[in-house]
Amino acid sequence: MISRIAKWVRLWALSTFATALFSSSAVAQDKLKVVVTIPDLADLVQEVGGERVAVTTICRGKENLHAVTPRPSHLVALSKADLFVQIGLSLETSFVPGLIEQCGNAKVKPGGAGFVNGSEGWSAIDVPRDLSRQGGDLHPQGNPHMNLDPRAGRHLVERIYAGLCRVDAASKPLYTERRDAYLTRLAVAEERWSKLGASWKGKPVVVYHQEYSYLIARYELAPCGAIESKPGIPPTPNHIAELVGRMKAANCATILTAIWSNGDQVERVAEATGARTVELPNMCGGIAGSETWIGMMDLVHRRLDEAIGMSAPQK
Amino acid sequence: MALAQGAAFQTPGMPSLGVRADSGSDSGQASRFSNEFNPALSFIVDSVLRYDDSPASDDGFDAALRTLEFAGNAWVDPKAWAYFVGAVEDEALNVEEAAVHFTGLGGNNVIRAGRFFVDFGKQMQTHVHELRTLERPLVLREYLGDEVKGEGLEWDSWTGVGEGTAVRWSIAALANTLPEEEEDFDPATEAAAEIDSSKELEDFNFTARVTAFTDLSDASVLQLGTSLRSIPRYSVVYDDGAGNTAQADSLSSNVLGLDLTYGWTGETGERKFTLGGEYLLSMGDNGFEVDPDPDNNPGTADAALSILDEQVGGFFVWADYAWDRFNSAGAQYSLVERADAIQSEAYEVELYFTRMFSEFHRLRLVLAHSDGEGDDPLATLALQYTAIVGAHGHGVNW
Repeated sequence: MISRIAKWVRLWALSTFATALFSSSAVAQDKLKVVVTIPDLADLVQEVGGERVAVTTICRGKENLHAVTPRPSHLVALSKADLFVQIGLSLETSFVPGLIEQCGNAKVKPGGAGFVNGSEGWSAIDVPRDLSRQGGDLHPQGNPHMNLDPRAGRHLVERIYAGLCRVDAASKPLYTERRDAYLTRLAVAEERWSKLGASWKGKPVVVYHQEYSYLIARYELAPCGAIESKPGIPPTPNHIAELVGRMKAANCATILTAIWSNGDQVERVAEATGARTVELPNMCGGIAGSETWIGMMDLVHRRLDEAIGMSAPQK
Repeated sequence: MALAQGAAFQTPGMPSLGVRADSGSDSGQASRFSNEFNPALSFIVDSVLRYDDSPASDDGFDAALRTLEFAGNAWVDPKAWAYFVGAVEDEALNVEEAAVHFTGLGGNNVIRAGRFFVDFGKQMQTHVHELRTLERPLVLREYLGDEVKGEGLEWDSWTGVGEGTAVRWSIAALANTLPEEEEDFDPATEAAAEIDSSKELEDFNFTARVTAFTDLSDASVLQLGTSLRSIPRYSVVYDDGAGNTAQADSLSSNVLGLDLTYGWTGETGERKFTLGGEYLLSMGDNGFEVDPDPDNNPGTADAALSILDEQVGGFFVWADYAWDRFNSAGAQYSLVERADAIQSEAYEVELYFTRMFSEFHRLRLVLAHSDGEGDDPLATLALQYTAIVGAHGHGVNW
């Protein structure tokens, strides 16, 4: 068998390069090339940059942001990018540092004109006091899921606007006009969300992973715990039992979960407590209707309002 | 800021290192001992509990701390970063890797200098505790060795082709890429391969690799690669220590590898499926056998070496499925044609289940079976327990 396989060796060697040789470039040369980590940032870059920008997004909308595997196209895109935008706060630490280090593009490295850290200037919550792995997958600078804060759109848009103007000053009037128009629309949406969330104060909720903490803090919901025993660590039976007891005591009727985490463990807790599971997007595009950041926030608020508006647990 | 102990002043002719920040010296970064600039340090504990079942005498249970590995890495300056990996094995500290990556050539070029695992295929750069299976695939062990720690220089670069393909290549000139002697090496019955430490330029060993990595879709990727390890000149020496010697010089050996890996990731990033394989051809003077006493007359010091130069081949294939970030299972099969007089075949199959308690904490159950012409069959049931402390990085390339 081995000798038969050996006959294919030379053919194989040639085919190693075939894919590369027959690939062709279709880059829009006249556009500003922007690479972003998550679809939320892609939407906001597109809103500010309009037709002037061509955006490549690394993460897909349904992914667990802590389990993202970058592809070769991401490395290639980053090597040619004029601007790179990330959330920061170590959210993308499993894949961004390696891509940036290997892409060979000094413009998009931290400190370069083309590097935008979306969370710069943001006041993070849940900043750990003790940096030990005993606390699970801690983020040293605080909770990184700021894209799920209703106030984050305004902050991120300003960071993106500054970055675009820095690398493409000639188009600043266009970016300014588009940013202002977006912020006007955003203000209307923010008012809509505030009205919806005004009645949620004090309502107990449980999450699977602490990615909705900003949302919970914004509307002063009462966090009742997380199904993960620690951030990034799957729950143990003891932890589940303890959580179920706590939820019953607090009359907690709502479990917030993302698509990636809506599995057996969530179902088990829901069954044991009678709580409703509310599946929310953790970034744009994860659920139909969440393709834009405003659209995603509308969906999040609508689903939360439906769930929290209901009464006590079903059993 | 904590400063290490340093000299109070610098005497003429002494190295500038050790000068305190407040000494007024103009010798550079006088506060370099600040621990804010310390490298990322880590260590790994890799333990194995195993049961071997074989007709041979060495079956039964064994429990061992297989590897205690230390590692550190940091940027040296804006143009270079360095790392080291040391492993304690059998009460001895081995320098597995210690190298500097120089990135100052611009573009995507990297020069690596020092000692490092050679860039051959998908698994030879990987340290044993990071493998999917308990051991490196049989064909790699047979043709290249358990680990190949090259010492020398490597140039590595890559380029994008089109929108979705990255092509990387590397070429290295190394002092010695011969497999290390096995623990049970017996000089009375076995010969050893050697390379002179002082050599001509053409005596250097070489490795080269080209790999194309491409998107097939938003969820899947394909990687093709070709690798070469070349030893242009080496010797085989037999010396039983009692005056019976034999030697063969000006031998050469080449191993060519071809690899293919397909990866699929589910829409949430939690489920993953990987299918891979690698085929190796071993060419040149790739085997040798010693006959310590051809005339069956002890004491005549007439040892003879047979050099085998038939082309032989072997491969391994594997499949791995992770149904979430914490649980995965897979299988690996390796078949190899040995460079012996009859080109005997041997195989090894491994089934495994891996449970990650967290990103840094792993338990693995392995069931392995191997057999070959002239070998005793061996069945192994093993439990591997691994913990990583700190920021662990090996500089493994794709």
